[in-house]
Amino acid sequence: MTYRTQNVAYPYFVVALLLFGLQVVVGLWLAINYFFTVPQDVVNVFSFATARAMHTNLAVLWMLLGFMGCTFYMVPEETESELAWPKMAIAQLVILSLTGVTALVGFLFGWTQGRPLLEIPFTLDVVVVIGVLMFLANVGMTMIRAKRWTATQGSLLAGLVFLALMYLFGMPFYKNLAVDWYYWWWVIHLWVEGAWELIAAALTAFILMKLTGVDRKIVEKWLYVELGLFLFTGIAGTGHHYYWLGAPKYWLWVGGIFSALEPLPILLMVVDTLRDVKKRTKPLEPRLTWVYLIGGVILHFIGAGLFGFAHTLPQINYYTHGSQVTVSHGHLAFYGAYVLLNLTFFYFAIPRLKGLPGNNYDARAGHWGFWLTSLGVVGMSLAFAVAGVLQSYLERMMGQSYMLSQEPIRFWMFVVFLHGLIVVAGAFITIKHLLTLRPAPQETAAGGDAG
Amino acid sequence: MTEKAAKWIFWVGTLSSLVLFLVLTVDTHSQFAALTNADQLDEQVIAGKRAFQHYNCNDCHTILGFGGYYAPDLTRVYTRLGSDTIRRRLDSPEIAFADSYRKMPQQNLSEEEIADIVAFFRWVSEIENHDWPPQHSEARWKRSTERLMAGAVLSPGAALINQEDCLTCHALGDRGEKIGGRLEWIGSRRNSAWIAEYLVNPEAFAPGTEMPSFEHLSGEQRLMIGEFIVSLDPAEGR
Repeated sequence: MTYRTQNVAYPYFVVALLLFGLQVVVGLWLAINYFFTVPQDVVNVFSFATARAMHTNLAVLWMLLGFMGCTFYMVPEETESELAWPKMAIAQLVILSLTGVTALVGFLFGWTQGRPLLEIPFTLDVVVVIGVLMFLANVGMTMIRAKRWTATQGSLLAGLVFLALMYLFGMPFYKNLAVDWYYWWWVIHLWVEGAWELIAAALTAFILMKLTGVDRKIVEKWLYVELGLFLFTGIAGTGHHYYWLGAPKYWLWVGGIFSALEPLPILLMVVDTLRDVKKRTKPLEPRLTWVYLIGGVILHFIGAGLFGFAHTLPQINYYTHGSQVTVSHGHLAFYGAYVLLNLTFFYFAIPRLKGLPGNNYDARAGHWGFWLTSLGVVGMSLAFAVAGVLQSYLERMMGQSYMLSQEPIRFWMFVVFLHGLIVVAGAFITIKHLLTLRPAPQETAAGGDAG
Repeated sequence: MTEKAAKWIFWVGTLSSLVLFLVLTVDTHSQFAALTNADQLDEQVIAGKRAFQHYNCNDCHTILGFGGYYAPDLTRVYTRLGSDTIRRRLDSPEIAFADSYRKMPQQNLSEEEIADIVAFFRWVSEIENHDWPPQHSEARWKRSTERLMAGAVLSPGAALINQEDCLTCHALGDRGEKIGGRLEWIGSRRNSAWIAEYLVNPEAFAPGTEMPSFEHLSGEQRLMIGEFIVSLDPAEGR
């Protein structure tokens, strides 16, 4: 840590990690709903729908808070200046956390907008917008005052503004269901395959420069290419969600072609990362941070790139749309792309915020956390994929009724649950490890310093 | 690659995709009215959509394939189940799904809300969305039934369907109403003995249903009806 105000990032990381823990626990309950018959009396007061709203909103909330923390850590170093309003950053965290908690409790009492992932009521949406405006003002003002522009922070700021703008399309009540879903995807798709990718690319580039010592010019040159490809494929690629919602037929062509290219920028990100690692001028220390970074880009490619590609062509999507295939892709993509990125950044930033010697730390438990969580999520996604293929075949192709086609799936949901237990164990280890990061044992620390 | 080339890739890639997307968005808006029958989007349908959101139905069910994946897709629920079946399930899910391994919450909807939601589903079922989902394709049911009717001598079961005026409530091929379930749909998920049994006393299977008893028919006749309905399943190989 070079700048005092980078400190505001830490409370963001703490809140994000705690919400992450809650998210995976709710996920376990969702899996139980699939293979165990929850009694009517329980369903009446706490339905699958309520739990799902909590699970998904927790995911979005903690990852956004994580990104905000990462931003507050990164911007002072990129601008080489202190944050404009550090106290406002804390106020913003309080506002957004309270909004999140209110939303979660509200779901339990049926206070919802009733649109998947965008359940939080309009009133709370407005508060979120206020919080996000505070955030953008803070980040923007810091950059303007410093007058030091880099492609990395430009990409970050563009991603954040893009993210905030798209959120607005999810707020109103739409009378026409087709139009509703059309703009729903402006939030969901243009977030995860647009704005969030800009943020991810910027954060990855920043960490790579800091950890490898590779020249900024090289990293940022390839950042431009990555971003160009992300936006080229991602924006028009929104069309792959418009196949079956009552939009014109040309979306089958546009969505199919552009989204078939979507794995390319992710692949480029993998190549760039591996190239920077190869050309590094600093040692691969601490090892766990590297395991996260490289594991992240690889699972990002598999989960978002390959699993996404597998069902993006309209000929296939006609049978897999809205099945557990989507769930499989969703879990692995979010984990590979955004969970691991957040955790990578936490592992990069927290030792520096805490001033641990050599920016190193005792990583033993952290390795367990990484491998348990990652293997758990990969296994879970494969089980979802089997369930999804079964569902596509039995229900969509053979014409079985939904409930009949769900019977063989119950077993696979039990498999999902077992992997969920591993994920929860891994996540808890990781959370505890990150929140109680200790200096590295003496001999490793010495090695790190020497490098 | 030079930095200049990299910047070009960024700007050309981003702007070309953005322009294409925005142009198509404008064009899509000009076609939505026709594709979704916006002229039939009346106050009751809108009230139904509000109720659908208010009770967070969409976090268990999918509609147009979006939402939770925990319960059946509702895009064509009106097409396959009809208004009376939907009404019963919304009114007393604890009875409708008493034997099911998945439950639907009892949310104490008013009769008005139920009517609104049915209107909403009816409007959604008419959206032209390239015939998705495949398993609820009305076009496929109609085609299959048309072929069956063309190829077969009129079966006694079919004659009984006409004689008993089943199509006053049920849909079959191009004909009928959507108060009860579509007969092809029923045929694809039930066997003839079950249907024959149901006809004796629908109330015993579906409490609160509007469907009358067909006890006045002989057991053999009821079985014939059942056999005819089962033969309507498109998966039978037409």
